[in-house]
Amino acid sequence: MSVNTWLATGNFNTTYRQEQKTFVTSLDRSIFTLFLLTLFAWPVFFPISQKYMLVVDNILVAIVAVMGLNLLLGFAGLISIGHAAFIGIGAYTVASFSRTLGDSHVIVTHFWPVLILLAGFMGALFGAIVGLPALRLKHLYLAIATLSFQMIFQWVINFMSFFNQGQTIYVGRVFWFTGEIGRNQHYMFWYYIILTLVVLMGFGVRNLLKTRYGRSLVAVRDNDRAADAMGMNPGLTKVYAFALAGFFAGVAGALHAYLYRGIGFESFTLHQSVGYLAMAIVGGLGTLNGSFWGPVAIKYLDIQMEHLAEFAGHYMVQASNLSTALKPLSFGLVIVLFLMFEPRGIANWWRIAKSYTKLWPFRY
Amino acid sequence: MSYFFQIVVSGIVVGSIYALAALGLVLVYKSSRVANFAHGQIIAAGAFITFFLTVRVGVPIFLAFLASMIITFFLAMSVERIFLRRLIGEPIISVIMVTIGLASIIDGLIYLTPFGSENFSFPAFLPEDSLSLGGVSISWTQLVGLMITTLLIGAFSWFFKKSTVGISMRAVSDDQFGAMSVGISVPRVFGLAWATAGLSAAAAGCIIGNITGLNFETLHAFGIVVFPVVILGGLDSILGAVVAGIIMGLIQQFAGGYLDGNFGLHGTGNVMPYIILLIILLFKPHGLFGIHEIERV
Repeated sequence: MSVNTWLATGNFNTTYRQEQKTFVTSLDRSIFTLFLLTLFAWPVFFPISQKYMLVVDNILVAIVAVMGLNLLLGFAGLISIGHAAFIGIGAYTVASFSRTLGDSHVIVTHFWPVLILLAGFMGALFGAIVGLPALRLKHLYLAIATLSFQMIFQWVINFMSFFNQGQTIYVGRVFWFTGEIGRNQHYMFWYYIILTLVVLMGFGVRNLLKTRYGRSLVAVRDNDRAADAMGMNPGLTKVYAFALAGFFAGVAGALHAYLYRGIGFESFTLHQSVGYLAMAIVGGLGTLNGSFWGPVAIKYLDIQMEHLAEFAGHYMVQASNLSTALKPLSFGLVIVLFLMFEPRGIANWWRIAKSYTKLWPFRY
Repeated sequence: MSYFFQIVVSGIVVGSIYALAALGLVLVYKSSRVANFAHGQIIAAGAFITFFLTVRVGVPIFLAFLASMIITFFLAMSVERIFLRRLIGEPIISVIMVTIGLASIIDGLIYLTPFGSENFSFPAFLPEDSLSLGGVSISWTQLVGLMITTLLIGAFSWFFKKSTVGISMRAVSDDQFGAMSVGISVPRVFGLAWATAGLSAAAAGCIIGNITGLNFETLHAFGIVVFPVVILGGLDSILGAVVAGIIMGLIQQFAGGYLDGNFGLHGTGNVMPYIILLIILLFKPHGLFGIHEIERV
């Protein structure tokens, strides 16, 4: 039975299948398909320079990472101040292959999809291990446990000569069916690969949240004692949430490694972890589209601040100091202002805009 | 054997500084349940204010020490008033992130001044040579730092046990509604808790700056190092902060003294507190002296 959504005054689902649909109407589906087509087509029609393509790729990698963090923080309500370390686990999985086999060994260059998947599972494994304290710890104690993991990770990377003491470890150029991906196509190629992954994982998250596994995350966030009473296992759910977040982070890390064709420890510091937290919060916790808005907003802010510092450098003497000062200043201001005035993030603006256009000539 | 005692002494000195730095965090957490990630930045700010007053303005150092404590007192109070007052009752992640954002803002502000990137040191006002007792030596700066720290911790304990404001702070941390019903202004107590935390942070900053030199990176790193200390101590216990501070100081010095150089290890002093913390948390999830809260559905 098709319902005219223009006339409907609410949700009138009569079966569970109806409720589980991703797209409520065929119009929704066509708009979304069109949007996806635009995303895939625009680099062909409006090519941009390598520098900006890298920025776009970077945002997409951050989206993958933030989707995982949002599952953990927004849906399961577990605070992690060590997300960059999980991303590092993924990246260093790829790095250890290129370190032991040589950076242009056939496994690294031809079987990269397998390596990306493997990096995801390594991330999930470490996520589950780090999540183990969540069986007993809560709130701040748990946050500090993840902080400890971040610190230990940094120390291990800096200490072990296998990881080149945190100096750059190179990863070779990858091959596609058409042959080696050269310098000019590199960022374009990875744009398509990462975009495909983002779409797949986005659908994955959307569908997960409609199953019992996703709902149990939300139940545990809202009240784990009540969830326990209803027959869920809160401890296991928390560990599983950490593993899920670790999987996303691991994939993001491997993508980061391939995108930059090298890994240094400075991409996985505590500072970066805080950056991912900021992205998740600015985007909107507990919403899927928040994971897309957040990275875009924070990375855009970063670029604008660089431009501003460069511009101000023409008029002021202490230019280098200014650029180091402006970044943390703007970053902190954005976090604080969002939390004070829009705690639900950009996703909330999107929601408001959507409901406004849906009913447009009429109001509540 | 004297090497052992030397490490014990330096462990206690470092640990007492940790305890002093942790005190501010515990004060804030105890009354308002806020974990302050900007504590390291307030420590740095306090140290730089003292430096500015002594070297650039020319105030005697002990006067500058007191003045910077008073300035950070009001600074922290206004931070609470402007940013954190609005967030009472918000989820814990929002509050944590606001303090992280604050840390970032103060970072940016300090980078705007010349203090952000260069190294400074306080003018020497103590004898350069060190005291030696049976092969164990302790420098005058360490000794004076230890003395001031002990004095301040004692003063804070007295303040909490005996003074009216301290008792009202304890009442708020125990039960906010109960405290309100006996006429305690809860927001005022929150402000005062932040203010005293700022004051202790400035004191810690000056003592650390006097021992290690003034470098923004090392000073604000203390804000993170202090977290294993307070978590180990149990977040809302002053005694816990002191004990855990000294334990962590000893662990750090022993790891640095005995593990580094052997087995090809280095830098273990910085990571060992976190490892020990994780192990202890597995057995005592609320730290050594933390209160186990009873939760109801």
